[in-house]
Amino acid sequence: MLIRMTGISRHYSEWPALRSIDLEVATGDFLVVSGPSGAGKTTLLRLIWMGDRPSKGVLEVAGYRSDRISQRDLPVLRRKLGIVFQDFRLLEERTVFDNVALPLQVAGTSPRVIRKRVFALLAEMELSHRRSSRPHELSGGEQQRVAIARAMVAHPVILLADEPTGNLDPEVSRRVIDLLLEINRSGTAVVLATHDPRQVPAGIARHLYLDKGELVDPGAWDGFGD
Amino acid sequence: MDSVIEINLLIRAFNEMLLGLRRKLGPFLVTLLMVSLSFMVFDIFIAVSWNLQTVLREEQENVGVEVFLEPSVTQAAALTLADLISTMDGVRSVYYVSSDEAELVFRADLPDQAGLLDLMGSSFRLPASVQVSLHTDHRTDDRVVPLARTLSGMQGVEDVIYGEEYLPGLTSAVNILARLVLLAGLVLAVSLSLIVANTVRLAVAEKSLTVEIMSIVGAPGWFVRLPFIGEGIVTGLLGSAGSLLFTAVISLVLSPTVPHRFLPGQWIAGVLLLGTCAGTIGSWIGMRSGIPRPRA
Repeated sequence: MLIRMTGISRHYSEWPALRSIDLEVATGDFLVVSGPSGAGKTTLLRLIWMGDRPSKGVLEVAGYRSDRISQRDLPVLRRKLGIVFQDFRLLEERTVFDNVALPLQVAGTSPRVIRKRVFALLAEMELSHRRSSRPHELSGGEQQRVAIARAMVAHPVILLADEPTGNLDPEVSRRVIDLLLEINRSGTAVVLATHDPRQVPAGIARHLYLDKGELVDPGAWDGFGD
Repeated sequence: MDSVIEINLLIRAFNEMLLGLRRKLGPFLVTLLMVSLSFMVFDIFIAVSWNLQTVLREEQENVGVEVFLEPSVTQAAALTLADLISTMDGVRSVYYVSSDEAELVFRADLPDQAGLLDLMGSSFRLPASVQVSLHTDHRTDDRVVPLARTLSGMQGVEDVIYGEEYLPGLTSAVNILARLVLLAGLVLAVSLSLIVANTVRLAVAEKSLTVEIMSIVGAPGWFVRLPFIGEGIVTGLLGSAGSLLFTAVISLVLSPTVPHRFLPGQWIAGVLLLGTCAGTIGSWIGMRSGIPRPRA
Protein backbone atom coordinates (compact mmCIF):
# COMPACT_ATOMS: atom_id res chain seq x y z
CA MET A 1 0.00 0.00 0.00
CA LEU A 2 1.48 3.38 -1.00
CA ILE A 3 -0.65 5.52 1.27
CA ARG A 4 -2.46 4.37 4.38
CA MET A 5 -4.37 6.74 6.66
CA THR A 6 -5.97 5.39 9.81
CA GLY A 7 -8.09 7.70 11.94
CA ILE A 8 -6.25 10.80 10.71
CA SER A 9 -7.30 14.12 12.22
CA ARG A 10 -5.68 17.53 11.88
CA HIS A 11 -6.63 20.41 14.14
CA TYR A 12 -5.36 23.99 13.88
CA SER A 13 -5.87 25.40 17.37
CA GLU A 14 -9.45 24.25 17.99
CA TRP A 15 -10.52 24.20 14.34
CA PRO A 16 -10.67 20.70 12.80
CA ALA A 17 -9.27 20.70 9.24
CA LEU A 18 -9.59 16.91 8.95
CA ARG A 19 -11.54 14.44 11.11
CA SER A 20 -11.04 10.68 11.39
CA ILE A 21 -9.97 9.98 7.83
CA ASP A 22 -9.38 6.36 6.79
CA LEU A 23 -7.87 5.99 3.37
CA GLU A 24 -5.76 3.63 1.30
CA VAL A 25 -4.04 4.20 -2.04
CA ALA A 26 -2.29 1.37 -3.88
CA THR A 27 0.13 1.35 -6.82
CA GLY A 28 -1.67 2.37 -9.99
CA ASP A 29 -4.68 3.91 -8.22
CA PHE A 30 -6.26 7.13 -9.40
CA LEU A 31 -7.94 8.82 -6.47
CA VAL A 32 -10.02 11.94 -6.90
CA VAL A 33 -10.64 13.90 -3.69
CA SER A 34 -13.42 16.41 -4.18
CA GLY A 35 -15.13 18.89 -1.96
CA PRO A 36 -15.92 22.56 -1.59
CA SER A 37 -13.33 25.18 -0.67
CA GLY A 38 -12.12 24.69 2.90
CA ALA A 39 -13.17 21.03 2.94
CA GLY A 40 -9.62 19.91 3.79
CA LYS A 41 -8.38 18.70 0.37
CA THR A 42 -5.14 20.68 0.48
CA THR A 43 -4.54 19.67 4.12
CA LEU A 44 -4.98 16.02 3.11
CA LEU A 45 -2.40 16.33 0.34
CA ARG A 46 -0.08 18.32 2.60
CA LEU A 47 -0.18 15.50 5.13
CA ILE A 48 0.69 13.01 2.39
CA TRP A 49 3.85 14.89 1.40
CA MET A 50 4.49 15.43 5.11
CA GLY A 51 4.62 19.19 4.89
CA ASP A 52 2.41 18.91 7.93
CA ARG A 53 1.82 16.19 10.51
CA PRO A 54 -1.51 14.77 11.70
CA SER A 55 -2.77 15.70 15.17
CA LYS A 56 -4.15 12.18 15.60
CA GLY A 57 -4.04 8.86 13.78
CA VAL A 58 -1.49 6.89 11.81
CA LEU A 59 -0.24 7.97 8.39
CA GLU A 60 2.06 5.84 6.27
CA VAL A 61 3.37 6.95 2.86
CA ALA A 62 5.68 4.80 0.72
CA GLY A 63 6.80 2.89 3.81
CA TYR A 64 7.41 5.96 6.01
CA ARG A 65 5.23 6.68 9.05
CA SER A 66 4.65 10.36 9.76
CA ASP A 67 5.27 9.92 13.48
CA ARG A 68 8.56 8.11 12.99
CA ILE A 69 10.12 9.68 9.90
CA SER A 70 13.42 11.46 10.57
CA GLN A 71 14.49 14.79 9.09
CA ARG A 72 17.06 12.83 7.09
CA ASP A 73 14.42 10.55 5.56
CA LEU A 74 11.97 13.31 4.70
CA PRO A 75 13.78 14.31 1.47
CA VAL A 76 14.06 10.61 0.55
CA LEU A 77 10.28 10.24 0.86
CA ARG A 78 9.63 13.42 -1.11
CA ARG A 79 11.78 12.18 -3.99
CA LYS A 80 9.25 9.36 -4.32
CA LEU A 81 6.45 11.89 -4.71
CA GLY A 82 5.61 14.35 -7.43
CA ILE A 83 3.58 17.40 -6.44
CA VAL A 84 1.61 19.77 -8.65
CA PHE A 85 -0.07 22.93 -7.35
CA GLN A 86 -2.88 25.11 -8.62
CA ASP A 87 -0.55 28.14 -8.79
CA PHE A 88 2.20 26.07 -10.50
CA ARG A 89 4.91 27.33 -8.12
CA LEU A 90 7.55 27.54 -10.81
CA LEU A 91 10.73 29.43 -10.03
CA GLU A 92 10.58 32.64 -12.02
CA GLU A 93 14.32 33.23 -12.15
CA ARG A 94 14.96 29.82 -13.76
CA THR A 95 14.31 28.56 -17.25
CA VAL A 96 11.82 25.80 -18.06
CA PHE A 97 14.74 23.37 -18.30
CA ASP A 98 16.07 24.33 -14.86
CA ASN A 99 12.61 24.17 -13.28
CA VAL A 100 12.06 20.66 -14.60
CA ALA A 101 15.60 19.60 -13.72
CA LEU A 102 15.37 20.77 -10.09
CA PRO A 103 14.25 17.46 -8.48
CA LEU A 104 17.15 15.68 -10.20
CA GLN A 105 19.64 18.40 -9.31
CA VAL A 106 18.76 18.26 -5.62
CA ALA A 107 19.05 14.46 -5.70
CA GLY A 108 22.66 14.68 -6.90
CA THR A 109 21.99 13.23 -10.36
CA SER A 110 24.83 13.80 -12.82
CA PRO A 111 24.38 16.69 -15.29
CA ARG A 112 24.58 14.27 -18.25
CA VAL A 113 21.69 12.15 -16.98
CA ILE A 114 19.72 15.29 -16.07
CA ARG A 115 20.05 16.67 -19.62
CA LYS A 116 19.00 13.38 -21.16
CA ARG A 117 15.98 12.87 -18.94
CA VAL A 118 14.75 16.47 -19.01
CA PHE A 119 15.06 16.77 -22.79
CA ALA A 120 13.12 13.52 -23.23
CA LEU A 121 10.37 14.63 -20.86
CA LEU A 122 10.09 18.09 -22.42
CA ALA A 123 9.71 16.44 -25.83
CA GLU A 124 7.03 14.15 -24.43
CA MET A 125 5.18 17.16 -22.98
CA GLU A 126 5.61 19.12 -26.21
CA LEU A 127 7.65 21.75 -24.41
CA SER A 128 11.03 21.31 -26.12
CA HIS A 129 10.73 24.64 -27.91
CA ARG A 130 10.13 26.34 -24.55
CA ARG A 131 13.12 24.92 -22.66
CA SER A 132 14.97 28.25 -22.48
CA SER A 133 11.89 30.32 -21.66
CA ARG A 134 11.11 31.75 -18.24
CA PRO A 135 7.79 30.78 -16.62
CA HIS A 136 6.24 34.23 -17.12
CA GLU A 137 6.71 33.85 -20.87
CA LEU A 138 4.46 30.75 -20.94
CA SER A 139 0.70 30.36 -21.10
CA GLY A 140 -1.15 28.93 -18.08
CA GLY A 141 -1.46 25.52 -19.73
CA GLU A 142 2.23 25.46 -20.58
CA GLN A 143 3.16 26.47 -17.04
CA GLN A 144 1.05 23.65 -15.62
CA ARG A 145 2.65 21.18 -18.04
CA VAL A 146 6.08 22.37 -16.86
CA ALA A 147 4.94 21.87 -13.26
CA ILE A 148 3.76 18.33 -14.13
CA ALA A 149 7.04 17.64 -15.92
CA ARG A 150 8.91 18.78 -12.81
CA ALA A 151 6.76 16.48 -10.69
CA MET A 152 7.35 13.53 -13.00
CA VAL A 153 11.03 13.91 -13.89
CA ALA A 154 12.30 11.80 -10.97
CA HIS A 155 9.83 8.97 -11.70
CA PRO A 156 7.73 9.30 -8.53
CA VAL A 157 5.51 6.47 -7.29
CA ILE A 158 2.75 8.90 -6.32
CA LEU A 159 1.71 12.10 -8.07
CA LEU A 160 -0.18 14.57 -5.89
CA ALA A 161 -2.11 17.21 -7.81
CA ASP A 162 -3.75 19.98 -5.80
CA GLU A 163 -6.38 21.70 -7.97
CA PRO A 164 -4.06 21.58 -11.00
CA THR A 165 -6.75 22.96 -13.31
CA GLY A 166 -7.98 25.67 -10.96
CA ASN A 167 -6.37 28.47 -12.99
CA LEU A 168 -6.93 27.02 -16.46
CA ASP A 169 -9.71 27.28 -19.05
CA PRO A 170 -11.86 24.16 -19.75
CA GLU A 171 -9.99 23.05 -22.87
CA VAL A 172 -6.56 23.31 -21.25
CA SER A 173 -7.97 21.71 -18.07
CA ARG A 174 -9.12 18.70 -20.11
CA ARG A 175 -5.62 18.31 -21.58
CA VAL A 176 -4.05 18.47 -18.13
CA ILE A 177 -6.46 15.81 -16.83
CA ASP A 178 -5.68 13.65 -19.89
CA LEU A 179 -2.01 14.02 -19.05
CA LEU A 180 -2.65 12.88 -15.47
CA LEU A 181 -4.61 9.87 -16.76
CA GLU A 182 -1.75 8.99 -19.08
CA ILE A 183 0.72 9.24 -16.20
CA ASN A 184 -1.55 6.98 -14.15
CA ARG A 185 -1.72 4.43 -16.98
CA SER A 186 2.07 4.18 -16.84
CA GLY A 187 1.74 2.90 -13.26
CA THR A 188 2.08 6.02 -11.12
CA ALA A 189 -0.59 6.41 -8.44
CA VAL A 190 -2.33 9.77 -8.75
CA VAL A 191 -4.15 11.67 -6.02
CA LEU A 192 -6.07 14.57 -7.50
CA ALA A 193 -7.70 17.20 -5.30
CA THR A 194 -10.38 19.13 -7.16
CA HIS A 195 -13.60 20.97 -6.50
CA ASP A 196 -15.04 19.49 -9.71
CA PRO A 197 -15.26 15.68 -9.52
CA ARG A 198 -16.72 15.42 -13.03
CA GLN A 199 -13.28 16.09 -14.51
CA VAL A 200 -12.44 12.38 -14.15
CA PRO A 201 -15.09 9.74 -14.91
CA ALA A 202 -15.99 7.45 -12.00
CA GLY A 203 -15.15 4.34 -14.02
CA ILE A 204 -11.51 5.38 -14.29
CA ALA A 205 -10.90 6.82 -10.86
CA ARG A 206 -11.98 6.23 -7.30
CA HIS A 207 -13.81 9.24 -5.87
CA LEU A 208 -13.78 10.50 -2.30
CA TYR A 209 -15.67 13.51 -1.01
CA LEU A 210 -14.61 15.77 1.78
CA ASP A 211 -16.83 18.24 3.57
CA LYS A 212 -15.76 20.21 6.64
CA GLY A 213 -12.83 17.83 7.07
CA GLU A 214 -14.87 14.64 6.97
CA LEU A 215 -15.33 12.00 4.29
CA VAL A 216 -18.99 12.11 3.26
CA ASP A 217 -21.36 10.08 1.15
CA PRO A 218 -21.21 11.20 -2.55
CA GLY A 219 -24.92 11.95 -2.61
CA ALA A 220 -24.65 14.23 0.37
CA TRP A 221 -22.46 16.69 -1.50
CA ASP A 222 -24.18 18.95 -4.02
CA GLY A 223 -21.06 19.37 -6.16
CA PHE A 224 -21.41 15.88 -7.53
CA GLY A 225 -25.06 16.19 -8.35
CA ASP A 226 -24.58 19.43 -10.37
CA MET B 1 27.96 5.82 -5.92
CA ASP B 2 26.83 7.70 -2.83
CA SER B 3 30.00 9.78 -2.79
CA VAL B 4 29.44 10.71 -6.46
CA ILE B 5 25.93 11.88 -5.56
CA GLU B 6 27.31 13.84 -2.59
CA ILE B 7 29.92 15.51 -4.81
CA ASN B 8 27.27 16.37 -7.43
CA LEU B 9 25.11 17.82 -4.65
CA LEU B 10 28.00 19.84 -3.22
CA ILE B 11 28.81 21.28 -6.65
CA ARG B 12 25.11 22.04 -7.14
CA ALA B 13 24.86 23.73 -3.72
CA PHE B 14 27.94 25.84 -4.56
CA ASN B 15 26.37 26.79 -7.90
CA GLU B 16 23.14 27.72 -6.09
CA MET B 17 25.15 30.05 -3.84
CA LEU B 18 26.86 31.72 -6.83
CA LEU B 19 23.51 31.96 -8.60
CA GLY B 20 21.99 33.63 -5.55
CA LEU B 21 24.85 36.13 -5.25
CA ARG B 22 24.78 36.93 -8.97
CA ARG B 23 21.04 37.54 -8.96
CA LYS B 24 21.23 40.08 -6.16
CA LEU B 25 24.67 41.50 -6.82
CA GLY B 26 23.59 45.08 -6.03
CA PRO B 27 22.18 44.38 -2.53
CA PHE B 28 25.09 42.01 -1.88
CA LEU B 29 27.64 44.73 -2.66
CA VAL B 30 25.77 47.17 -0.41
CA THR B 31 25.88 44.61 2.43
CA LEU B 32 29.54 44.02 1.75
CA LEU B 33 30.22 47.75 1.98
CA MET B 34 28.22 47.94 5.22
CA VAL B 35 30.18 45.06 6.74
CA SER B 36 33.49 46.54 5.51
CA LEU B 37 32.75 49.95 7.03
CA SER B 38 31.67 48.41 10.35
CA PHE B 39 34.80 46.32 10.40
CA MET B 40 36.96 49.27 9.40
CA VAL B 41 36.15 50.98 12.71
CA PHE B 42 37.42 47.86 14.44
CA ASP B 43 40.51 47.67 12.21
CA ILE B 44 41.42 51.29 12.98
CA PHE B 45 40.87 50.64 16.67
CA ILE B 46 43.12 47.60 16.72
CA ALA B 47 45.73 49.32 14.52
CA VAL B 48 45.90 52.19 17.04
CA SER B 49 45.92 49.69 19.91
CA TRP B 50 48.62 47.62 18.30
CA ASN B 51 50.85 50.64 17.77
CA LEU B 52 50.25 51.69 21.37
CA GLN B 53 50.96 48.19 22.56
CA THR B 54 54.17 48.13 20.54
CA VAL B 55 55.32 51.35 22.23
CA LEU B 56 54.36 49.97 25.65
CA ARG B 57 56.09 46.67 24.98
CA GLU B 58 59.23 48.50 23.87
CA GLU B 59 59.04 50.32 27.18
CA GLN B 60 58.59 47.01 28.92
CA GLU B 61 61.68 45.71 27.10
CA ASN B 62 63.66 48.28 29.06
CA VAL B 63 62.29 47.07 32.36
CA GLY B 64 65.16 45.66 34.35
CA VAL B 65 66.71 45.90 37.77
CA GLU B 66 69.84 47.81 38.68
CA VAL B 67 71.56 46.53 41.81
CA PHE B 68 73.98 49.11 43.20
CA LEU B 69 76.76 47.70 45.32
CA GLU B 70 78.39 49.11 48.42
CA PRO B 71 81.87 50.62 47.79
CA SER B 72 83.43 47.95 50.01
CA VAL B 73 82.37 45.11 47.70
CA THR B 74 85.35 43.78 45.77
CA GLN B 75 85.12 42.86 42.10
CA ALA B 76 85.40 39.13 42.96
CA ALA B 77 82.58 39.42 45.50
CA ALA B 78 80.50 41.40 43.00
CA LEU B 79 80.96 38.72 40.33
CA THR B 80 79.96 36.01 42.85
CA LEU B 81 76.87 38.05 43.68
CA ALA B 82 76.09 38.47 39.96
CA ASP B 83 76.39 34.69 39.49
CA LEU B 84 73.99 34.15 42.36
CA ILE B 85 71.47 36.63 40.92
CA SER B 86 71.64 34.95 37.49
CA THR B 87 70.22 31.76 39.00
CA MET B 88 67.15 33.53 40.39
CA ASP B 89 63.67 32.98 38.96
CA GLY B 90 62.82 35.27 36.03
CA VAL B 91 66.39 36.50 35.50
CA ARG B 92 67.49 36.27 31.86
CA SER B 93 71.02 37.67 32.19
CA VAL B 94 73.22 39.73 34.46
CA TYR B 95 76.01 42.14 33.68
CA TYR B 96 78.50 43.53 36.15
CA VAL B 97 79.33 47.20 35.71
CA SER B 98 82.47 48.27 37.57
CA SER B 99 83.01 51.80 38.90
CA ASP B 100 85.36 52.58 36.01
CA GLU B 101 82.90 51.33 33.40
CA ALA B 102 80.07 53.26 35.08
CA GLU B 103 82.13 56.44 34.78
CA LEU B 104 82.88 55.75 31.11
CA VAL B 105 79.20 55.15 30.39
CA PHE B 106 78.22 58.31 32.26
CA ARG B 107 80.69 60.41 30.30
CA ALA B 108 79.58 58.86 27.00
CA ASP B 109 75.83 59.10 27.64
CA LEU B 110 75.78 62.49 29.36
CA PRO B 111 78.73 64.47 27.97
CA ASP B 112 77.36 67.84 29.17
CA GLN B 113 77.11 66.52 32.73
CA ALA B 114 80.63 65.10 32.73
CA GLY B 115 81.90 68.22 34.52
CA LEU B 116 80.00 67.14 37.62
CA LEU B 117 82.33 64.18 38.05
CA ASP B 118 85.35 66.48 37.91
CA LEU B 119 83.76 68.79 40.50
CA MET B 120 83.33 65.86 42.89
CA GLY B 121 87.07 65.33 42.93
CA SER B 122 89.33 62.39 42.08
CA SER B 123 88.34 60.42 45.17
CA PHE B 124 84.71 60.22 44.05
CA ARG B 125 83.76 56.92 42.46
CA LEU B 126 80.46 56.02 40.86
CA PRO B 127 79.06 52.87 42.50
CA ALA B 128 79.57 49.51 40.81
CA SER B 129 76.37 47.72 39.91
CA VAL B 130 74.85 44.54 38.54
CA GLN B 131 72.43 45.13 35.64
CA VAL B 132 69.71 42.46 35.76
CA SER B 133 67.75 41.71 32.59
CA LEU B 134 64.44 39.84 33.02
CA HIS B 135 62.44 37.37 30.98
CA THR B 136 59.49 38.99 29.13
CA ASP B 137 56.78 37.57 31.38
CA HIS B 138 58.67 38.75 34.48
CA ARG B 139 58.63 42.42 33.48
CA THR B 140 55.44 43.20 35.39
CA ASP B 141 55.32 44.97 38.73
CA ASP B 142 53.92 41.94 40.59
CA ARG B 143 57.05 39.98 39.62
CA VAL B 144 59.67 42.72 39.74
CA VAL B 145 58.77 44.09 43.20
CA PRO B 146 59.37 40.80 45.12
CA LEU B 147 62.60 40.25 43.20
CA ALA B 148 63.81 43.77 44.02
CA ARG B 149 62.93 43.18 47.67
CA THR B 150 64.97 39.98 47.74
CA LEU B 151 67.93 41.69 46.05
CA SER B 152 67.79 44.59 48.54
CA GLY B 153 68.25 42.16 51.41
CA MET B 154 71.39 40.62 49.96
CA GLN B 155 74.76 41.33 51.52
CA GLY B 156 76.76 44.09 49.81
CA VAL B 157 73.76 45.62 48.10
CA GLU B 158 73.34 49.32 48.73
CA ASP B 159 70.29 50.13 46.61
CA VAL B 160 67.97 48.55 44.04
CA ILE B 161 66.27 50.52 41.26
CA TYR B 162 63.65 49.04 38.93
CA GLY B 163 61.45 51.87 37.71
CA GLU B 164 58.98 51.67 40.57
CA GLU B 165 57.47 55.02 39.51
CA TYR B 166 56.20 53.90 36.10
CA LEU B 167 56.16 50.09 36.17
CA PRO B 168 52.71 49.62 37.81
CA GLY B 169 51.11 52.08 35.35
CA LEU B 170 52.84 50.48 32.39
CA THR B 171 51.73 46.99 33.38
CA SER B 172 48.11 48.01 33.86
CA ALA B 173 48.10 50.01 30.58
CA VAL B 174 49.28 46.96 28.65
CA ASN B 175 46.64 44.77 30.34
CA ILE B 176 43.79 47.25 29.83
CA LEU B 177 44.66 47.68 26.17
CA ALA B 178 44.70 43.93 25.60
CA ARG B 179 41.26 43.60 27.28
CA LEU B 180 39.88 46.53 25.28
CA VAL B 181 40.91 44.91 21.99
CA LEU B 182 39.27 41.65 23.09
CA LEU B 183 36.08 43.45 24.16
CA ALA B 184 35.91 45.49 20.96
CA GLY B 185 36.44 42.30 18.95
CA LEU B 186 33.57 40.58 20.73
CA VAL B 187 31.21 43.55 20.40
CA LEU B 188 32.03 43.88 16.74
CA ALA B 189 31.70 40.15 16.11
CA VAL B 190 28.22 40.23 17.65
CA SER B 191 27.10 43.32 15.71
CA LEU B 192 28.54 41.98 12.49
CA SER B 193 26.81 38.65 13.07
CA LEU B 194 23.52 40.51 13.44
CA ILE B 195 24.09 42.46 10.21
CA VAL B 196 24.83 39.22 8.34
CA ALA B 197 21.92 37.46 10.09
CA ASN B 198 19.54 40.15 8.93
CA THR B 199 20.90 40.04 5.39
CA VAL B 200 20.57 36.26 5.21
CA ARG B 201 17.07 36.41 6.76
CA LEU B 202 16.05 38.85 4.02
CA ALA B 203 17.67 36.60 1.42
CA VAL B 204 15.75 33.61 2.78
CA ALA B 205 12.49 35.60 2.72
CA GLU B 206 13.22 36.67 -0.84
CA LYS B 207 13.91 33.09 -1.84
CA SER B 208 11.11 31.54 0.23
CA LEU B 209 9.47 29.95 -2.83
CA THR B 210 12.79 28.45 -3.95
CA VAL B 211 13.41 27.14 -0.44
CA GLU B 212 9.88 25.68 -0.28
CA ILE B 213 10.06 24.07 -3.72
CA MET B 214 13.52 22.64 -3.05
CA SER B 215 12.23 21.14 0.16
CA ILE B 216 9.12 19.76 -1.60
CA VAL B 217 11.12 18.14 -4.42
CA GLY B 218 13.33 16.37 -1.88
CA ALA B 219 16.40 18.53 -1.36
CA PRO B 220 18.28 17.50 1.81
CA GLY B 221 18.19 20.12 4.58
CA TRP B 222 21.91 20.83 4.32
CA PHE B 223 21.58 21.41 0.57
CA VAL B 224 18.94 24.09 1.19
CA ARG B 225 20.99 25.68 4.00
CA LEU B 226 24.46 25.52 2.46
CA PRO B 227 24.05 28.38 -0.07
CA PHE B 228 22.88 30.70 2.74
CA ILE B 229 25.75 29.66 5.03
CA GLY B 230 28.14 30.10 2.10
CA GLU B 231 26.73 33.55 1.47
CA GLY B 232 27.35 34.46 5.13
CA ILE B 233 30.91 33.17 5.01
CA VAL B 234 31.65 35.06 1.79
CA THR B 235 30.07 38.24 3.22
CA GLY B 236 32.10 38.00 6.45
CA LEU B 237 35.36 37.13 4.72
CA LEU B 238 35.11 39.67 1.89
CA GLY B 239 33.69 42.30 4.25
CA SER B 240 36.62 41.99 6.64
CA ALA B 241 39.07 41.87 3.71
CA GLY B 242 37.48 45.05 2.34
CA SER B 243 37.80 46.72 5.73
CA LEU B 244 41.51 45.86 5.83
CA LEU B 245 41.90 47.38 2.39
CA PHE B 246 40.17 50.61 3.48
CA THR B 247 42.27 50.72 6.66
CA ALA B 248 45.47 50.14 4.68
CA VAL B 249 44.59 53.08 2.43
CA ILE B 250 43.95 55.30 5.47
CA SER B 251 47.23 54.08 6.98
CA LEU B 252 49.10 54.97 3.77
CA VAL B 253 47.55 58.43 3.65
CA LEU B 254 48.41 59.11 7.30
CA SER B 255 51.89 57.59 7.33
CA PRO B 256 53.82 60.77 6.31
CA THR B 257 52.26 62.79 9.15
CA VAL B 258 51.58 60.17 11.82
CA PRO B 259 54.42 57.67 12.14
CA HIS B 260 52.96 54.23 12.73
CA ARG B 261 53.01 50.66 11.50
CA PHE B 262 50.17 48.75 9.80
CA LEU B 263 48.85 45.59 11.41
CA PRO B 264 51.16 42.56 11.37
CA GLY B 265 50.24 39.39 9.44
CA GLN B 266 48.88 37.54 12.48
CA TRP B 267 46.45 40.35 13.32
CA ILE B 268 45.32 40.56 9.68
CA ALA B 269 44.66 36.82 9.75
CA GLY B 270 42.77 37.35 13.05
CA VAL B 271 40.54 40.03 11.49
CA LEU B 272 39.77 37.77 8.50
CA LEU B 273 39.02 34.86 10.83
CA LEU B 274 36.78 37.01 13.00
CA GLY B 275 34.92 38.21 9.88
CA THR B 276 34.48 34.66 8.63
CA CYS B 277 33.24 33.42 12.01
CA ALA B 278 30.84 36.35 12.42
CA GLY B 279 29.53 35.74 8.87
CA THR B 280 29.02 32.04 9.56
CA ILE B 281 27.26 32.62 12.88
CA GLY B 282 25.16 35.42 11.40
CA SER B 283 24.01 33.35 8.44
CA TRP B 284 23.18 30.46 10.76
CA ILE B 285 21.03 32.73 12.95
CA GLY B 286 19.38 34.36 9.92
CA MET B 287 18.68 31.02 8.28
CA ARG B 288 17.20 29.45 11.39
CA SER B 289 14.81 32.34 11.84
CA GLY B 290 14.07 32.60 8.11
CA ILE B 291 13.52 29.06 6.86
CA PRO B 292 10.04 27.80 7.69
CA ARG B 293 9.76 24.55 9.61
CA PRO B 294 6.93 21.97 9.44
CA ARG B 295 4.07 22.91 11.75
CA ALA B 296 3.85 20.75 14.86
